[in-house]
Amino acid sequence: MNPKEEKVKIISQEFTEDGVEVDAEVERRKKSRIQRQQKKKKPPTTAPEEMVSDKSHEEYQQKMQETVEEEPESHLLSVTTRRGPRSLPPIPSASRTGFAEFSMRERMREKLQAARSKAESALLQEIPTPRPRRLQSPSERESETEFGPEPSKEVQGTRQEDDSQSCSRVKFRDSVRKIKSKPQAPAGFPSAEEAYNFFTFNFDHEPEEPEDKSNAKDRDRAQEDEGREEETPAGRAKKTEEEELLNGKDAEDFLLGLDPTVHNVVAVKPAEYKSAHVRLQKEKETLFTPSRLAVPTYKKLPENVQPRFLEDEGLYIGARPEVASTSQNIMENRLLMQEPVGKWFGDDGRILALPSPIKPFPSRPSLSTQEQSAKAELETLYKKAMKYVHSNQRMIGSGDPPGNFQLDIDISGLIFTHHPCFSREHVLASKLALLYDQYLARQQRNKAKFLTDKLQALRNAVQRGFNPEEPHQTLDATQKTINEYKSEIRQTRKLRDTEQEKDRTLLKTLLKVWKEMKSLREFQRFTNTPLKLVLRKGKVDQKADEEAYEAEIQAEIQELLEEHTEDYKKKMEEYRASHQQWKAWRKAQRAKKKKKKKAAEEHTDEEEAEEPFPEEDVVKPIPPEPTDPGLIEQQVRERAAHSRRRPGEPMLVPELSLAGNVTPSDQCPRVEVSRREDVKRRSVYLKVLFNGKEVSRTVTRQLGADFRVHFGQIFNLQIFNWPESLMLQVYETVGHSSTTLLAEVFLPIPETTIVTGRAPMEEVEFSSNQHVTLDHEGVGSGVPFSFEADGSNQLTLMTSGKVSHSVAWAIGENVTIKWNISKLSFLKSNTVATSGESYVPDFFRLEQLQQEFNFVSDEELNRSKRFRLLHLRSQEVPEFRNYKQIPVYDREIMEKVFQDYEKRLRDRNVIETKDHLDTHRATVAKYLQQVRESVINRFLIAKHHFLLTDLVVEEEVPNISILGLSLFKLAEQKRPLRPRRKGRKKVTAQNLSDGDIKLLVNIIRAYDIPVRKPMVSKFQQPSRSSRTFNEKHSASPSGHSPGHSADYPLGQVLVRPFVEVSFQRTICHTTTAEGPNPSWNEELELPFRAPNGDYSTASLQSVKDDVYINIFDEVLYDVLEDDRERGSGIHTRIERHWLGCVKIPFSTIYFQARIDGTFKIDIPPVLLGYSKERHIIMERAFDSARSLSEGSYITLFITIEPQLVPGEPIREKFDSQEDEKLLQAAEKFQAECNLKFPCRHCLTTVIDLSGKTVFITRYLKPLNPPQELLNVYPNNPQATAELVARYVSLIPFLPDTVSFAGICDLWSTSDQFLDLLAGDEEEHAVLLCNYFLSLDKKAWLVMGSAIPEGPTAYVLTWEKNHYLIWNPCSGHCYGQFDTFCPLKSVSCLIGPDNIWFNIQHYDSPLRINFDVTKPKLWKSFFSRSLPYPGLSSVQPEELLYQHTDKAAAAELQDRIEKILKEKIMDWRPRHLTRWNRYCTSTLRHFLPLLERSQGEGIEEDHRAELLKQLGDYRFSGFPLHMPYSEVKPLIEAVYSTGVHNIDVPNVEFALAVYIHPYPKNVLSVWIYVASLIRNR
Amino acid sequence: MAEVHVIGQIIGATGFSESSLFCKWGIHTGAAWKLLSGVREGQTQVDTPQVGDMAYWSHPIDLHFATKGLQGWPRLHLQVWSQDSFGRCQLAGYGFCHVPSSPGTHQLDCPTWRPLGSWQEQLARAFVGGGPQLLHADTIYSGADRYRLHTAAGGTVHLDIGLLLRHFDRYGVEC
Repeated sequence: MNPKEEKVKIISQEFTEDGVEVDAEVERRKKSRIQRQQKKKKPPTTAPEEMVSDKSHEEYQQKMQETVEEEPESHLLSVTTRRGPRSLPPIPSASRTGFAEFSMRERMREKLQAARSKAESALLQEIPTPRPRRLQSPSERESETEFGPEPSKEVQGTRQEDDSQSCSRVKFRDSVRKIKSKPQAPAGFPSAEEAYNFFTFNFDHEPEEPEDKSNAKDRDRAQEDEGREEETPAGRAKKTEEEELLNGKDAEDFLLGLDPTVHNVVAVKPAEYKSAHVRLQKEKETLFTPSRLAVPTYKKLPENVQPRFLEDEGLYIGARPEVASTSQNIMENRLLMQEPVGKWFGDDGRILALPSPIKPFPSRPSLSTQEQSAKAELETLYKKAMKYVHSNQRMIGSGDPPGNFQLDIDISGLIFTHHPCFSREHVLASKLALLYDQYLARQQRNKAKFLTDKLQALRNAVQRGFNPEEPHQTLDATQKTINEYKSEIRQTRKLRDTEQEKDRTLLKTLLKVWKEMKSLREFQRFTNTPLKLVLRKGKVDQKADEEAYEAEIQAEIQELLEEHTEDYKKKMEEYRASHQQWKAWRKAQRAKKKKKKKAAEEHTDEEEAEEPFPEEDVVKPIPPEPTDPGLIEQQVRERAAHSRRRPGEPMLVPELSLAGNVTPSDQCPRVEVSRREDVKRRSVYLKVLFNGKEVSRTVTRQLGADFRVHFGQIFNLQIFNWPESLMLQVYETVGHSSTTLLAEVFLPIPETTIVTGRAPMEEVEFSSNQHVTLDHEGVGSGVPFSFEADGSNQLTLMTSGKVSHSVAWAIGENVTIKWNISKLSFLKSNTVATSGESYVPDFFRLEQLQQEFNFVSDEELNRSKRFRLLHLRSQEVPEFRNYKQIPVYDREIMEKVFQDYEKRLRDRNVIETKDHLDTHRATVAKYLQQVRESVINRFLIAKHHFLLTDLVVEEEVPNISILGLSLFKLAEQKRPLRPRRKGRKKVTAQNLSDGDIKLLVNIIRAYDIPVRKPMVSKFQQPSRSSRTFNEKHSASPSGHSPGHSADYPLGQVLVRPFVEVSFQRTICHTTTAEGPNPSWNEELELPFRAPNGDYSTASLQSVKDDVYINIFDEVLYDVLEDDRERGSGIHTRIERHWLGCVKIPFSTIYFQARIDGTFKIDIPPVLLGYSKERHIIMERAFDSARSLSEGSYITLFITIEPQLVPGEPIREKFDSQEDEKLLQAAEKFQAECNLKFPCRHCLTTVIDLSGKTVFITRYLKPLNPPQELLNVYPNNPQATAELVARYVSLIPFLPDTVSFAGICDLWSTSDQFLDLLAGDEEEHAVLLCNYFLSLDKKAWLVMGSAIPEGPTAYVLTWEKNHYLIWNPCSGHCYGQFDTFCPLKSVSCLIGPDNIWFNIQHYDSPLRINFDVTKPKLWKSFFSRSLPYPGLSSVQPEELLYQHTDKAAAAELQDRIEKILKEKIMDWRPRHLTRWNRYCTSTLRHFLPLLERSQGEGIEEDHRAELLKQLGDYRFSGFPLHMPYSEVKPLIEAVYSTGVHNIDVPNVEFALAVYIHPYPKNVLSVWIYVASLIRNR
Repeated sequence: MAEVHVIGQIIGATGFSESSLFCKWGIHTGAAWKLLSGVREGQTQVDTPQVGDMAYWSHPIDLHFATKGLQGWPRLHLQVWSQDSFGRCQLAGYGFCHVPSSPGTHQLDCPTWRPLGSWQEQLARAFVGGGPQLLHADTIYSGADRYRLHTAAGGTVHLDIGLLLRHFDRYGVEC
């Protein structure tokens, strides 16, 4: 059903709703009427007679009638309804209806129209084929309306046809079907409505109709005819044809199954056609066809104008574009027709034309290449389904085709430097060859010559410098340069001498070996080796030589003399100055003596005050001795004779050749023959092992008589896995018996830049530990033999040799391999950390118009602070990592945010000496910073590798044992008698902010705090007598005796200590307790703030702050001025005196989670006014053990609230050069140990500074301590050991966790450690252990845990009958059974050749047995099943120590003193800080003494001296001692003592710094701080 | 100076014949764009749907760009991979779509395709896995003439992307 009808229907429904009972008939009529209205100008043309007695026909007619009746239609409708003869159901109120209908109809019409147009357009879309041309004619439409009178059943169908008369029938049908969404009634059947109409129809008025109709028709037709006439002239002519066509249509209808009755009504017409002839005729009339003939020129030109040819006149006219002449003619004709002569033609009578724009050759590059590339881009590659391997970096990229990497291993040969079959002669020969090689190498470098030349040049320069003829330099500058030259000359000379000496000795040994060999050959009467040393004598001109020699010596003497005289002069001056001083002093002394005699006794007081240098005992200086030129000459000559070629001595040039003859076997003794046969039986081959797997082996080659084997084989390894190890195994076969593995040689994996062809041949040495004894001339291996007849001077040689090889990456013809190699290197270096900007697409794209459309310029974009900040934060630049909340606007970002960062960038290469005061340390700090950065980058990447357990937290399914345990818990006591500490909930660091974390410090009690010496506190105004008493008393060594306690005034306690905890400049303190063994039991809470507010694990690990726990004594002073007021008021002043401190790094607390224990208080060696109260403790029996060890102790409990999760150790497998087998064994050993004792940490491999895994025993090796230290106590090994320990402890401590975020322990070798001058426990322990080993002690590294460091390393030594445990960081040693030993548990011992794991029940050093030979107590790594393979050490052969520059140390000392003084003044902003210079100088004299005695046993002397000098001051102060690393810790330490806090108005300060330099820039710093208050 | 935040997630994929799927994704921008923070590319987990045929990844994308021009508006390119029962991975489809340019949240459906390859390759793919892959992955989003490439349709990747734009109006870009 088409939409129109539907609409109609809806409208009818509206009617009914209106209350008008509209008959279906009416409705129908209405419908048709509406149709009519829409095409009212198209009345039917067919004869009315034909439509007979048909209901619908009649109906139709009726409608026609209505149509004829003119508008307004509302009238019409009402009229029809009224007039309508058919008895419709009664209409209650026609007028009402009519009115309603009027508006309704209007609406209906609109809707219908819309619907119709829609349907039409739909149809049009459906049938885009051109409509039949008849369409235009209204007559045809007319004719189609005649379809209306169809059998009633067809009504609907017809109507539809009405709508779409224009369409061809079949298609129409289709479209109808399409449009019909829900057919109301099946075609061919009357609908209920129609049926009703049929039966209720009244046919009364039928006779009237034809008339009416014919009338109407006539009129209609007339109208139509007019319209038709108006339309087209041709329209009329077609009329007849149209009628025919109609008939045809009817036939069609019939065919389509329409009612056959319709056939009668329709006329069939032939197709309209106009004959071509007629058409042409017509066209001729209307159209113009330009002729194709050429137009004569005159027509194209204005009249009487001759054509002018510009080209003939010599003007340039471009080539006209090619146009066919016919086309041109047509164009010309047309143009002429339009406007006879015009602007279209040129002077030559041709059409104007521009020169042809077409270029003769293409300017675009040929497309062929482009096309190719496009194809290449679209290229696809079939890839096999592949598995992803988790650790991507060990693979060669996931997407790369395998086998693209090829490692070429070229094994050219093998040379034995020792072999069991070597005869004695061979041994010598190889030695000779080695020496000769050395000689050649030296000869090539020819350093001696170079240095001599340099020396000569320098001398010349000096000579010229003295030359006054060169005036362009100022005298000052010349002097300076000359001095420089001279010092350089001195150095060069020294170097040259040593070089020459070396050359000479080498030559000598070479000759000696050759002689030995010759004698051996003579002795055994045959030769085995073709080696032959020929000495060539160079010709020398004796005279010239002598002269040169003499000149040289003279020059040297001259120089030396000059130096000496200079020295002498200097010394002389010094001497004179001091002598004068001495004289003055003598004079003063004499005068004083005279005065003294004169003066009366009571004047002593004044005298003392006057005495300026009471103590300074000026010694009479000794004048320096002038140097004796003769002596110098002698020295020089001696040296020259020793190291230089004597004049006239021929120049010897040794030449080693293989020209000698080897004695044939038949002339040799039997043993030799059998040796030679044995050699012939032996053959050698090599196996190539890649990542521990054998990949190929060389051919087996017989050992030559010269013990050289030539292979010359190249192995190409196509590798897929990342190369971890490349090893060659040397195998030897004797005869047909089994092969023996001689040695394993590890080859380094080449850099990716080393490719085939560029790789040099290298020689790798190997050695074997096999022991071979042979029954012939061969000397064997690993067995001692001797060249001497008596068997003395034995030698033991091991089989050794060299493999010459080269390893390189192969390059194929294919470029991709090269590319892959570069990728490989990228993988290897693994520094993806440069994220962000590194993304550069590998194609180039022209950004057209980018510039024009840019919002802002690049500079402006880069200038944006916000973007910069965001970018830096995402790059995890240390300064901005975890920076929170970046402001939205640029203006809110301060410029200073970047200052630090920019400064760091600037300073990266500039060594800043300001912060460090010492260039060496500054460079070290830089280096450390670089190492740190690279390590951090490494860990940043490693951190992004996740395992399943990191991402998925899965609680274990409870099994029966857990269930049972929990059941068991139910029966537990609610309040157990011995409650256990419950584990706290751990908090992950990320969701924390400032103020969430607190540090809880629980201070419980202290033992053995120093007590005040009574006199100082007692006497406010010391009288002379009391002072003398003091003096006398303190001079007595017994210090303090119980008798003196009687001196205490009643109620005055010994000491009133309190504890102050300072952390991150927040300070908390406890209440004051009394007595030397106070008990506080107080909890202090300190807030913790992470740097930058960054609470990530990495950041927390690197917090460098320390917790300082200072113990002070609170002293009350009466400040009453007037004794009379004493009754009415109390005026006291509280002073606090620092007694000692405990320093605990925050990182320790962080990793330990809690620290619980008794710590030794670090008390300065001299604490003026205090002494240890020993006797009181002695009385207590239970504490007697404690008192055995000296010092004071404090019991603490420190924790962090909430508990933080310490970071996980980084799981990253580092590459290693260790044997794969060893690594596996290490892993196995570790796993076994962990299984047994999970809390004992077993260490087998560690990571060195370059990030490689190294087996731990390689770190231990005897290393020489500085000679200086050994010379101090040559006869006292114990004292030497202590001194060495002290030296080690003076190297600053820097925990790895601080330097390397991420928990990884990097071990540096001892020389690196000494160069860096910073390290943590392990480095200290390793160095100390190595020193002890070189002192011939039995020493081990102890891995265990201690208080407060946590897991740490100590050193254990075996002294005659007991063990000593050394703390490498403090330098203290403890006996095994010392209760105060900070080491609390021992997990493993490490020696230079083995590791022992503690499998005893206990791990406290008190309770375990250190005898590692007992396998029941100690599980050893290397055992019988896995023998020690003889690992070489990573440590250097020996340590070299430079002397520290004393002058630099002194300078540093001054600077530190200055800085500290300034700081103290800064800390006292409200007060005047006065410095007591006198006191300072006294202290300065005292500090070196302290260093010498290591802070022991001189306290009393010092006190006495101080009192003597500063008697009228109340003095409180102490020396601090620490290793020097930076200035900041020193400042911190001084600050923490709180000396500056005294605010007594007349206080004075004294501060002295002393730096004692040890070799290798190790500095021991002493700082003496004191405050003085003048007693009234 | 304008800023763009691209925040959203790769929800999942439907319509792939393979079942265990994961997706590698990346965002490509023009030269005028600067990544301030966020990760430009990534890979989702492997999802094996138990109910229904949609593989859910719910993989977050969070990027912050600064730009000095409109050219090279960020584009997302996706590669859907499937993992077979042996744990081997093979390509299941390439996809590409532009990041929307109007602020607000957008639900994107990105249809994918994969190269078909020769009949031998198809056969091999059917039996032994693997399959042809593009040598140059940028063909996915660069407009090279791809008509030569024979492809088969893969499934659809669904994305949910929210956009925040800042300061575009300052430069006369309405959004």
